Amino acid sequence: MSSETFLSSIELCRYYHRGPQTVRALDGVTITVARGEFLSIVGSSGSGKTTLLNLLAGLDTPTAGVVELGGVPLTSMSRRQLSAYRAHKVGMIFQSFNLISHYTALQNVETALYFNGTAPNERRRLSTQILEQLGLADRMTHRPADLSGGEQQRVAVARAIVKSPEILFADEPTGNLDFENAEAIVNLLMKLNRDGLTIVLVTHNLEMAQHYTQRTIRMQYGRVIQSGSTKTAEQPLP
Amino acid sequence: MTLRDLIVISTGNLWRMKLRTLLTTSGVLIAIAAFVSMLSFGAGNQEQINNEFNKLGLFSTMQVYPKNKENISDTTTAAKLDQRALERLAAVPGVNIVYPYDAFSVTARLGDSVLSAKAQALPIAAVQTKLFSNLSAGGAFDSNNSHEAIISTDFVKKAGFTSPDSIIGKRLVLSVRVSVIDSGLAHILVDRGETVLDRIRRIHLDSLVNKEYRSKVLRGEVNETIRRFLNGFINAQSVVNDTLRVCGVRGPDRVGRMRIESIIIPASTAARFSSSGFGGNPSEIFSAMSSGTLFERTNDASGKTYSQVTIDFDPKVIYKSIRDSVEAMGFRTFSFAAEFEQIQRAFLYIDLALGVIGLIALLTASLGIVNTMVMSITERRREIGVLKSLGADELDIRWLFLVESGVIGILGTVAGILFGWTITRIVSAIAQAYMKNQGIPPVDVFALPAWLILIALSVGVGVSVVAGFYPAARAARVDAVEALRND
Repeated sequence: MSSETFLSSIELCRYYHRGPQTVRALDGVTITVARGEFLSIVGSSGSGKTTLLNLLAGLDTPTAGVVELGGVPLTSMSRRQLSAYRAHKVGMIFQSFNLISHYTALQNVETALYFNGTAPNERRRLSTQILEQLGLADRMTHRPADLSGGEQQRVAVARAIVKSPEILFADEPTGNLDFENAEAIVNLLMKLNRDGLTIVLVTHNLEMAQHYTQRTIRMQYGRVIQSGSTKTAEQPLP
Repeated sequence: MTLRDLIVISTGNLWRMKLRTLLTTSGVLIAIAAFVSMLSFGAGNQEQINNEFNKLGLFSTMQVYPKNKENISDTTTAAKLDQRALERLAAVPGVNIVYPYDAFSVTARLGDSVLSAKAQALPIAAVQTKLFSNLSAGGAFDSNNSHEAIISTDFVKKAGFTSPDSIIGKRLVLSVRVSVIDSGLAHILVDRGETVLDRIRRIHLDSLVNKEYRSKVLRGEVNETIRRFLNGFINAQSVVNDTLRVCGVRGPDRVGRMRIESIIIPASTAARFSSSGFGGNPSEIFSAMSSGTLFERTNDASGKTYSQVTIDFDPKVIYKSIRDSVEAMGFRTFSFAAEFEQIQRAFLYIDLALGVIGLIALLTASLGIVNTMVMSITERRREIGVLKSLGADELDIRWLFLVESGVIGILGTVAGILFGWTITRIVSAIAQAYMKNQGIPPVDVFALPAWLILIALSVGVGVSVVAGFYPAARAARVDAVEALRND
């Protein structure tokens, strides 16, 4: 891991209006993500982890504050530039896998390469290669419904990393998996991080965060309440 | 995302929803089939008329008439269609030949039938124009003075023949009753047994000194001389016969406003009849009197005036330039090309009306596309969210849905054109069978020209894509965060 800041948020706020009420999903969050870091964001449901992840990935727009990518604020980017940022630099995996149900495993992975200018033949080659690396060579033509949860998440990981992103956002990637499959996915993420990929893992599983990631940020009610190495994050929540 | 990617993804999505796609596409199919078959009817009729006009060379034919006086008080002399006028018309740039309508009454014997008819004199150059060269049987004259005739199918039927081919080579005897000047002159000398000398003897020569008596005698004798001349001229007609060989049979007697007589004979052959005397038309006599040729009955037509002249011109020349030149000479014109412009305008209105009906059907079908696409968005919200998380921008999503509606449009339109064409073939076959049954020559009243296919494709695909605008915009606006949220 280098000390170079890859991504940062400064006083990031995201408010939602529910009738007369304003829900402060994120309220002044300032964090940094170093290049090559494996960062975990932990917190209970509704703490703002996923909201923070969406803002960092450029999927959502903050109410206030900025997300900076190498010093360039995402808010200054046009929609097209934000799409290009997601297409080239960002990989995402989700708790519910979010595979396209009518596509095969191979087609799902190929979809990630539609938007970064990869040639059709190259798309097929890269997707096949990554699925083989993740042990899914015999599952390429299967649709998500024909795959187990672990296999579906591995396809989702394949889809996220096939375009060689600079950062991977994983939103509760093990939330729908049994212990064995969850461990396999986390080990896979660790391997990817060892290979140089910056990973931001969102989880409510503090133990997993402490065990596998280098740094943990703890959130509650839309605020960062603790940030530091996995050791400091071991302290009980206030 | 390339166009190929968009097409592959779109067709994949449509294939997945087979029934819905089939039903939506069917709407477009039916609308386009209606659009194509209706416009095909207009196009077919237009093509029929165009072919008929072309076949007869009517686009390069113009009729010329003397101008009618606009009102009774108009004292200007109307330009005459005489030999000089014919020469001036022939000199107009682009004019190939000019020939007058020159017809006379005949009694014709063909086989056992004796019929009253009109014979029309035509120069061989005229007979070789498209208007006369489309013969049902046989061929044209050999020369301007050959003893041959072309007769119409109507005349063939009246003479009791069924097949035009069977008539070729048969003898056609034409008899023309002519009035000759000699007979008129002879009656001046002797009429009803009374000679001119008998009348002179009855005049009281000594009373001629009386002015009133002299005037009365003079008027009486002039009147009596004219009466005797006309009595001899009109009533003592002689019959001139000529035997011709039927060399060709042509179509009906009337082409548009142009009358073509039942029997067409070479100009010089016809002149032999006219040189024998007058055909009994009083205007012929006055015309000969005014031209000073009353007593010089020859083949010379210099004094003759015509009621109608036909101009055959180069098809490459715009008819308007010839019409303007002819009208500048003081004549009226009628051209089929001008009439065809009117017909085309009428067809344009018919096509527009039929097209609007087809478009209404297509607009109804487009609502089906909108409905299908909106349903598709609802079902594919998560997929749109995933695509956005993978880097798709709003334009990619918009294109994805536009191409989907476009693919529905292309499938529906192509199938609709084929279906519409099939309908027209079936209806045409039924119509032709009916025409045949009714003794009408069967014609195909439907046509599917390339322009109609192109219009149908443009309209079908265009309307389908436009129908996809709203759903595509809606799909592009789907919030990725909302779409990916765990339910």
